[in-house]
Amino acid sequence: MNSKITLSTSKMYSLFVRSRLNKCTNKRFLGNLQSESTRQNELFDLEKKRQREEIGRIDKIEVEVQCKSESKTYVMNKLISTPYDCARHLNETIMNKTAVALINGETLWHMHKPLPDSCKLEFLDYKVSQPGQVNKAFWRTCSFLLGAVASNAFKDKVDVQLHSFPIPNVKSGSFVYDIQLSLDNWVPTSSELRVLSMEMIKFCQQAHPIECLDVTADFALVLFKENPHKTMQIPDIAANNNGKVTLFRAGPNVDISKGPMIANTNQLGRTTVTNVIKLDTDIKGSPVYRFQGVALPSSIVLNHFAYGLLEERAKNLNSARIPGSQDVTTEDNSFMAQATN
Amino acid sequence: MAFILSNIVSKTCVKSLEDKLLALSISASGTQIRERHIMNPPPRLRNPTWFTKKHRVVHNDEITTDNQEFVKEVVQDKYSNKDESPLLSEIAANAAEWQPTFKRTGVIARKIGIYPIWMKDGTKMTTTLLQVLDNHVIKYYTPEEYENSQPNKTRVMKKKGCLLLGAEGTDPSLLTKEYCGLFKNSGVIPKKFLARFFVSPDAALPPGTPINALHFQVGNFVDVRGKTIDRGFQGVMKRHGFKGMPASHGVTKTHRRGGNIGGGGEKARVWPGTKMPGHMGNRYRVLKGLKIWRINTKYNVLYVSGQNVPGDTNSIVTIYDTILPLRKPSNPVPFPTYLNTDEIHEEDLYDDDVHQFCDPTIEYNET
Repeated sequence: MNSKITLSTSKMYSLFVRSRLNKCTNKRFLGNLQSESTRQNELFDLEKKRQREEIGRIDKIEVEVQCKSESKTYVMNKLISTPYDCARHLNETIMNKTAVALINGETLWHMHKPLPDSCKLEFLDYKVSQPGQVNKAFWRTCSFLLGAVASNAFKDKVDVQLHSFPIPNVKSGSFVYDIQLSLDNWVPTSSELRVLSMEMIKFCQQAHPIECLDVTADFALVLFKENPHKTMQIPDIAANNNGKVTLFRAGPNVDISKGPMIANTNQLGRTTVTNVIKLDTDIKGSPVYRFQGVALPSSIVLNHFAYGLLEERAKNLNSARIPGSQDVTTEDNSFMAQATN
Repeated sequence: MAFILSNIVSKTCVKSLEDKLLALSISASGTQIRERHIMNPPPRLRNPTWFTKKHRVVHNDEITTDNQEFVKEVVQDKYSNKDESPLLSEIAANAAEWQPTFKRTGVIARKIGIYPIWMKDGTKMTTTLLQVLDNHVIKYYTPEEYENSQPNKTRVMKKKGCLLLGAEGTDPSLLTKEYCGLFKNSGVIPKKFLARFFVSPDAALPPGTPINALHFQVGNFVDVRGKTIDRGFQGVMKRHGFKGMPASHGVTKTHRRGGNIGGGGEKARVWPGTKMPGHMGNRYRVLKGLKIWRINTKYNVLYVSGQNVPGDTNSIVTIYDTILPLRKPSNPVPFPTYLNTDEIHEEDLYDDDVHQFCDPTIEYNET
């Protein structure tokens, strides 16, 4: 099974990468969650390195950075420099507080994603006058991080398979990750939820930069071959995105998302995992649970009473579409369900 | 203990929760100490559970005005209908009959000022006005549950329970989450002031019970505890009422001094407790045996005798049934507290000796 995948992608990868791939896939038989994460990380690093080496000759681009009223022009490296690099030239506060970048006044761009061409660049933080897009990026990141935390929080005997998370909808009151757990009728106690919240907070405090990488569908399939749900979703995602799949990584956790996401995990302030609800789906295997949480950016302070109201609200089942076995639910198409609701 | 822990561990499926519980079970076993390294170990802090950080740093919350109003509405909705008559009737039905040996709860009040009243024989009396605030029961600790902050030196035969009362509801968003957690089970809005009252187990009240001025009756005696006015470092004339020394007749530099502080011979030293200058006020003092002359039921005001109730005007005081043996009530008092809130009262209740202003003027013969 594995050799088939590697053969079909042999054109793309160098001999070295392929040999490493096989090495990594053999590790799988240890059957350990830790080793799976390590394998994914190694692959991610290799692919990142390969993409960096593929650039070859370094071209220069001109990036016009608009900050408050003034604008500055920097000469940056094409496909290497990121908006984050531009922010580093500018000032530390902007570097740390920016959630996402805005290119040419229209396209949202991940802070750690290399710029492909000359452009105008703006930095959006959490206090911009029109925060809709930033909110979505923040909510999406929260979902991603919730999945990352949940996949590490359980004991080894519990099989955790991340399924997907719907398109961010701040109005729904909670960010969501649907996860398959090998537990029947698990109703989390308040202390278990508190532990999950603490794990999430601790993870976010480690200040992992969130990396971004566009890869081919074949590579993504190799990366997520242990996860049946992601494997099913990848062809569909790639078909809608010119054969590419966008991966994000925070710390040791890799996941698929359309993006953009925020720049760093330390931008999460108050964070709570509010509820885990068993979903009524026809997905084969173990039951699927909807993990829900609520969070605020660290730059926004809120009194405990008002935040408590948000927490209470986030305990109700999120109205996002429940994934089924027939339709391939991904972040991209779940918003159709939202629109019809 | 170990069995319960292992049970929890087997049930829980979150990894770090298990770790924590395991760590707990290990630490519970304790380690062996061969030598006693500290001769006198520091006393264990036994602060009551409600001694938590109360006020938070008030930030400028970035909430829109609409949402601010919404939060206010939620506070109102959550804590509005707190006159649960079924609760009160239930207490009334289960209440024991009052006995002179029973100790009832006290109330939290605010000292709002001093007014004169006249007796029917024309004598004038100064009274202090104590406004009973919106008292609610927050928690009851049974005698076994309550751990005294200072260990009792002697064995206590009839241990009292502890009733925690709160007064003056406030905006929960101004307080810490920790402090608001104290009020969680009572269903009462978080209060600004808390006070504990030791009560007989028969006089215990369930959380959320309101207490008003009719807890006390006209003609009964109360003790009032308050924090005296902080006067700072004062000399002996103000602090202890010494006479000082003459202003003239050759007296120099010793007009307000205390004079001699020690004798000669065998007593040639300063005796402990000698009255000298020092800090005055800002300590809790109880004024005992004050008679209630008048009760205003509309504003929950008690008129008690005396103009020397400890504390400033607008300071918080606590009122108890008196402990003076000769002034204890002989007739039944509302027990465990006044519960019949539906009953309609006159606005003012007077003691029999007090002249009411609606009555004809006092007439007496000139001597």
